[in-house]
Amino acid sequence: MKLSDRITGVVLALLGIAAFYGGSRLPPVPGQQVGPNVFPMVVGAGLLVVGLLIAFRIGRSFEDAAEAEIEKFGGPDHEAETYARKRRWYAFLPPALMVFYYLTSERIGFIPIATIMIAVLAFALGANRRLILPVAIVGAIVIQVMFVKLLRVPLPPGLVPMPW
Amino acid sequence: MNNFLAAFSMVFAPDVLIAMFASAIYGLIIGALPGLTATMATALLVPVTFYLSPIAAIATIIASSAMAIFSGDIPGCLMRIPGTPASAAYTDEAYRMTLKGQAETALGICLWFSALGGIVGTIALVLIAPALAEIALSFSTFEYFWLAILGLMCATLVARSSPVKALAAMLIGLLVSCIGIENPAGTPRFTFGLTDLLGGIDVIAALVGVFALAEVMRALTQKEPPEIPERKLGSILKGQIELTKKYPKQQIRGNIVGTLIGALPGAGADMAAWVSYSLSKRFSKEPEKFGTGHPEGLVEAGASNNAALAGGWIPALLFGIPGDTITAIAIGVLYMKGLNPGPTLFTEKASSMYALYLVFIIANIIMIPLGIMLIRVSKYVLKAPRSLIMPIIMVFCAVGAFGAAGNNLFAVLVVAAFGILGYVMEENGYPVAAMVLGIVMGTMVEQNFVTSLIKSDGSILPFLSRPIAAFLAFFTFLALFWPLIAWMKRYRAALSPA
Repeated sequence: MKLSDRITGVVLALLGIAAFYGGSRLPPVPGQQVGPNVFPMVVGAGLLVVGLLIAFRIGRSFEDAAEAEIEKFGGPDHEAETYARKRRWYAFLPPALMVFYYLTSERIGFIPIATIMIAVLAFALGANRRLILPVAIVGAIVIQVMFVKLLRVPLPPGLVPMPW
Repeated sequence: MNNFLAAFSMVFAPDVLIAMFASAIYGLIIGALPGLTATMATALLVPVTFYLSPIAAIATIIASSAMAIFSGDIPGCLMRIPGTPASAAYTDEAYRMTLKGQAETALGICLWFSALGGIVGTIALVLIAPALAEIALSFSTFEYFWLAILGLMCATLVARSSPVKALAAMLIGLLVSCIGIENPAGTPRFTFGLTDLLGGIDVIAALVGVFALAEVMRALTQKEPPEIPERKLGSILKGQIELTKKYPKQQIRGNIVGTLIGALPGAGADMAAWVSYSLSKRFSKEPEKFGTGHPEGLVEAGASNNAALAGGWIPALLFGIPGDTITAIAIGVLYMKGLNPGPTLFTEKASSMYALYLVFIIANIIMIPLGIMLIRVSKYVLKAPRSLIMPIIMVFCAVGAFGAAGNNLFAVLVVAAFGILGYVMEENGYPVAAMVLGIVMGTMVEQNFVTSLIKSDGSILPFLSRPIAAFLAFFTFLALFWPLIAWMKRYRAALSPA
């Protein structure tokens, strides 16, 4: 997910403005000059400044120097770069699966949801198809036993409570 | 002496030894698998440390991280793929040695000098930390404020990226630390009315997102590494004593540089290896041999990255300022276990400190036999398909963060959000280590800043009038303006005809 410096810089500057504004609206502590509003305002102002600097590509020369040094140690791999560009949206699958876990695990239970998560990601990573399902089921059960039995973390049993 | 005996009985308790041994094997395997880093190993260990005694908890972190930094060298040697970023600097060199048929020597160097580096780093920790603690006892909030700021500035300076972007990453971290009611006035900030945000962002969940989930995300855009070719390996430790005698200066330099870089906030083992490798080349009598499978740089950088691990604990134990990303996680565990960082730790909990030193020494000694074992079976370990390991790691991220955050499901969303943030930042050249430092140290910076201002009645003067504070302030500003000075120098050099 490579973005131009212009975009990331502007996003940071906007975030800085929002933090500054949000900070300035916090209520002060009566009888004190420095309250909870000072720190977010300082950080917000800082973000605005560095965001603008980045948008105008200041400091870029340092990055180019670091990249040149890495190139000396092997050089860029064009094939890998094309592959990465082609699959850039796949990268967001793991966080999406985490949200899926957040939404469903309480109701359906840890083991079925974890099995689905492992299977989907293994498939996306191009795992051996015959291995995906067994690994997903065994993996989910092993993790469940480890956390519930050994570490006493209450994972939701949901629809398929385990006999142990 | 009593403290020392107490430390002995703490470390040689069966639960500590078992925890150390298990986490050592865990660290060796995680480090050896490309894409799984030492920091990730530590982050995923945290939920387990909840259920261990304080010393056992710290021992698991020390043992697993030391092993992972060494074992990251194995795929570097055999497949030209660094197992952890800390091995990246000399992967090429090690692989060239393997091509020349010296795989066992290259692996032996990595193992032997890693262990030596780790032990020297520990000795530095033993000598430096108590001496610094003496000075630190007289620190007030003014000094702590500057120290924290200086730490944050160092993180932006040492990043292998644009200092402006590092500064931005650090500010994002500070902004994250503002969330919640953990501020001097107890006012809810940036909670957007969500009760889940009142307690602030759970640091462990955020770190699991940045260091573990982001790595799983990256794996989806990279091809599975190639199969490792069959290779017969001879004796691993043969010839290492001769190399130790042949390159004494390189080792000492590697150890010192490693410890210092480790102690600098934000810079850890990977940075230490890069710096040591290039120093080794610069001062070598035969620099032309570098890059052709020459052991000299390997000796220096291999020692350096393991020395850095111990160095990272110096500021972490003394001030609660993480020296690297691993100690950024470890500090949270220290607090949880009642070993709150600070100079008094060395007087009030002296036996625990001795125990910690012992754990370091033992970890680096058992690294040698365990490392040889792992090298022997590396053929099988490296065959483990990434496509099946990464999904398991992902589920660990969810469950581990859930457990570490006190069985709070919201932590899973925090992991997802910080996974995305960490991934996008890394892709665009924003160093995540700087952000992590901001998150971990934000509360400390703000508290010391506000308390100091209240003490001084809003005046800036006491920030600069106390001698140590002024000294720290000077270095902070130097660090802030250093990139500008460096850039001007380069600009002038470019203008003047060569």
